[in-house]
Amino acid sequence: MIHYELMLLLRVMPKTELKTVLKRTANMIFEKGGIIRKLENLGTRDMPYKTSVHGVVYNKASYFLYEFNVPPTSIDQLLDEYGRDIDIIRRRIYKKIEPEQFECTLDDELKPPPYRKDVLALVEQSKKGDKPKFKYNTGLDYYPFQK
Amino acid sequence: MNSLLRRVPSYSIISNNSLRKLCSTDAPDFNMENPFEKDKQQCILCKQNIQVDYKNVRLLSQFQSPYTGRIYGKHITGLCAKQQDKLEKEIVKAQSAGLMATYLKEPVFLQDPELFDVEKPLRPHRF
Ligand SMILES: [Zn+2]
Repeated sequence: MIHYELMLLLRVMPKTELKTVLKRTANMIFEKGGIIRKLENLGTRDMPYKTSVHGVVYNKASYFLYEFNVPPTSIDQLLDEYGRDIDIIRRRIYKKIEPEQFECTLDDELKPPPYRKDVLALVEQSKKGDKPKFKYNTGLDYYPFQK
Repeated sequence: MNSLLRRVPSYSIISNNSLRKLCSTDAPDFNMENPFEKDKQQCILCKQNIQVDYKNVRLLSQFQSPYTGRIYGKHITGLCAKQQDKLEKEIVKAQSAGLMATYLKEPVFLQDPELFDVEKPLRPHRF
């Protein structure tokens, strides 16, 4: 199953109301046959930019992060249902990124162009379009007669 | 002709290389790798083994211009192509999720240390 992350920005409200909203949003995931792995409160703070949804302009929001597994087909339904919830200012679902190891290519990128691998590949590619050159098949690396 | 060749004593057919070895025992070994080669350069994210994440807004905002909120290019940040690509994607994700400012760097992050010199790009740019 794919690991998803849901970023929820909720309207600032008292604790009891917040509890019901979180329960409601969590239940939507359970209804789709999903599992919640983590629920994190990232605090209440000023948003970097104001957002107007459901006819109200918001400058502050409570940030919540869900980590969950759900069938990929139900992601669209989830986003649609959250979009119609008037307590939710903004919602985004992303795939959880797995840490990956790779070789740093900075050293190669800092070389002068004729030594770079990608430039060499380009040169090689441009040679493919050249017209075929006639070969004399004399076994010599020069033309033996006067031209 | 064949018989002539056969009469050539075997000790006279010594290759140039082995002859040199016979002459002196401390001949330099030319197959060694370049002893003056510099250490491989690594970008700051690869060196510190940092995974770029869209929730780490403090790190992401260090690659953002405080005047326009735009992401600095590879020639300014000094990152490798892959890390720069990942960074740009994560910044777009963070901005879309309402975690990060788009047209400015948030004032709380303005005092953060600089990871690179904006005035000294690797190659000149059009601004
Ligand atoms: Zn790197």
